[in-house]
This record gives sequence, structure tokens and C-alpha cells, in this order.
Amino acid sequence: MTDYNEELDCSGMNCPMPILKTKMKIDTMKDGEVLRVIATDPGACSDMPAWTSRVGHELVENCEEGDKFVFYIRKGE
Amino acid sequence: MASSFTATELFEAIESGEDFVLLDVRNEEDFSNFIVEGPNDIEMLNIPYFDFIIDPESSVAKVPSDKTLMIVCAKQGSSEYVASVLTEFGRENVSHLDGGIISWGNVLVSKRVNSDNDSYEMWQFNRPGKASCSYGLVYGEEMFLFDPSRNLAFYQKFAESRGAEITHTFETHLQADYISGSPLIAEATGATFVAHEGDYGSGIHEYRSIVDGESFEFSNEGGPSTLCTHSPGHTPGSTSYVIDEKFLISGDTVFIVSVGRPDLGKQVVEWAKTLYSTLKERISILPDSLIVLPGHYTDWSIEADSEMRIMNNFGAVKKYNEQIYGIDDVDEFVSYIKSNMREQPDIYDQIRKVNSGHLTPSNDEQNIMDLGKNECAASSKTI
Repeated sequence: MTDYNEELDCSGMNCPMPILKTKMKIDTMKDGEVLRVIATDPGACSDMPAWTSRVGHELVENCEEGDKFVFYIRKGE
Repeated sequence: MASSFTATELFEAIESGEDFVLLDVRNEEDFSNFIVEGPNDIEMLNIPYFDFIIDPESSVAKVPSDKTLMIVCAKQGSSEYVASVLTEFGRENVSHLDGGIISWGNVLVSKRVNSDNDSYEMWQFNRPGKASCSYGLVYGEEMFLFDPSRNLAFYQKFAESRGAEITHTFETHLQADYISGSPLIAEATGATFVAHEGDYGSGIHEYRSIVDGESFEFSNEGGPSTLCTHSPGHTPGSTSYVIDEKFLISGDTVFIVSVGRPDLGKQVVEWAKTLYSTLKERISILPDSLIVLPGHYTDWSIEADSEMRIMNNFGAVKKYNEQIYGIDDVDEFVSYIKSNMREQPDIYDQIRKVNSGHLTPSNDEQNIMDLGKNECAASSKTI
């Protein structure tokens, strides 16, 4: 499992909230730090990779844990 | 609060050729897989909603300021969000789709097919999101359904509006491209689920098995007959229904353009030969005046009439598809089918399992499986 610095739980939220919250959270972090995001909206599975590549963050890992989707995002420079 | 529109209103806007821009804010991958399509060209723009989060100003600048904007996303939340961003930037005439793309995928548009003077009503329920059609036949206080989708609420409301109850729900075949509503409707309304054992025999749903050549009648005398004609090829159990000797509910056997592909069952040669026999011995002999009411279409501009109904008389259909109906040699027919073969979407196997009752996904999962256009015609391009 990837090490991470901060965690954000977006369970129960529908788009655009997971991306919106993730952006707000990651804006407060330092470059290179890793954020672990938990989501339940299946829409996040395709939106999170598309968003991270758009803004230059790195999606280090994504996986399913039970009925939750977990993303590890390293903040880009 | 920004205003919203329903999927039906979106269809009406497209049908009437209203001047608007459809702003689809789903990610590019989802957009490339499935888009809103209708009887007229749509001016469309894809800007993912997260672009409005990353850089609202330049994203707003990409949106034309002099046009009405109709915004679509996956489930509604993101299009509402984008509408609010646009409104903050002073944009007007901005609204979002209620229920997101799934509601577009499920919407049904009803059109009366027969004359208002007839003693019965024949209706076409077009599902533009799937390019497929189901049908309703109303006489007295009874309604027969043919190939319904899962939109139970729509069919119930429709029956109610005609003062009728759904008594039978017929399947033309085991669908591979969308989830059939017949089991759901039969369970909810007590209607008899009618299908051919060639397709449903190995399934787990309870159904009334069709006998080739039998006719279903309404309780009240004087109603239109529903004659069952086994027309295998697309599937082994494919059945067409001749209504009142006037209409042919042809499922995926006869389309206005093309015929139903016989390669979905992965026994292409065998099924193509069966389809050839069906077309020669059972279909070609039907009168030219019969109005074909197909299960699918691919091109509104060719297959719809002036009232945007997907229908035409069989004579015109044969003429249009001369390349297919003109083949008089079974091997040549098989070669034609083979040369037009293409991959079928991966999801088709799963959908068949749902339709036979061997797989029971959640409602949300079924919604996702059920999204996307059909790939059922034997020839993918206009002949």
C-alpha cells in the first residue's frame, strides 16, 4: 500500500463534490505529498484519472476496497 | 437556482430544430463512448466539469455567449455546478438536464403509428438514447407491449393515460444490446410475459411460450389480431408479430435499413443460413403494403418518416435493401454477412445473461450496462 500524508473521505458524495473537495484539499498540501481519497461514486473512477492528468498531479494508485474506491494522488509541481 | 430541462424536453428541442448548444461536461472518455443524438444535428461542446473547477475563467470563455445552453453530465450534479459557474460569470439562458445522461438514455418518445380513426391504437415508443423502439397496442381496456425497456414507470403511466392495463408483454427475441423490461413489467403488473422458447427456454424467467402461427386476441371482440411468426436468424427464437394484417413488429429481423446481424451468437455460418431461409420463406412473401415497425434504427434521416416515426412499408424496405433481399444464393448471403461482420460490444454477453435471468445486477449497475447505442444491424453503413 502506498504511504500517504493526508486523507480525504468523499463517501456518499456525487460529482462534482469528490473532485471539488480533492482540489481544495490538495491545494493546501506541499508538492510531492500524497493524498488518499476515498469515494463511493463510480463516476469518480473515470473522472479522477482524467482530472489528475489534466492538472499535472500523479495518480500513484487506485483500487477498490469493498464498495469504496480509493485513490492515491501525489501533488504535482 | 438555475433552471433545468427533462430528457423529453431535450428530445423536443432537437426534434424541432431549436437553436442551442449542448454542453456535455462529462470526461472525454465517457463523452466519446456515448453522446446525445436525435433526429437533427446538434451543436455540441465537450468541456469536462473539472475544467470549470481547475480554471473557471478560461473554461467559461470557451462557451459561446450568444446561444442557449443545455448542459448534460453523468448524473446531474456536475451540470448543475457548471450552470452555476456560468451564471456567476454573467451567462444567461443556461439550464441543466434532470437526472443526467442516464435519464436521456432511458427516455421514451411516443408516436401514434396508425390512423386516429382505427378502433385500436398502435404506438411506437422510440428510445433515442439506444436507437431502439418498443411498441404498444391498445384496444378497449387492454394494452399489449412489445420489446419494452426497463422504464416501467413510463409504460404504466402511458397505459393509464389510455385507460388501459398492460395484459401482455411480448419479446421479439432475447436482446443483447439492452436490458428487457418484460420480466420487470410482468412482475409489477401481472401481465403475461410472451416469448419464444428458442431464446428463453434456457432462461429462468417464467413465460408463456409462443407457438408459431398462433394469434393473440384482446378480450373484447373486434380488436386487432397479433399473429406470431417465428423468424429465426438474428437469434434462434426471433419472432415477428403481424398486427391486424397491417403492421409487422419485426424486432431485429427486418430493419428499415439492413437486417438483424446473425453473428451475435458466434455461430455465424449456421445462423446466417437460418436468416437466409427466414428472409426467403417467411419474410419476402409478406405483402408489400405491410408497415414495418423495427426494433432498431441507425439513421433518422433515412429511416424516419416526416413525423419522425421509424417506419416504412415493406415494399419500400425491400427496395431500399435490394442488396440483401436480392441475394438468391445462400453461400453468397453468408459471404455478405461475413464481409459486414464487426466486433460486438463486450457488454452484450452480460446483457444476455441479465435478460435470461442468469445475472441479477443492482439497479444502478443495470443503468450503466444499459447505456449506449445498439450494434444490431448486419451492415453498419448505409447500403
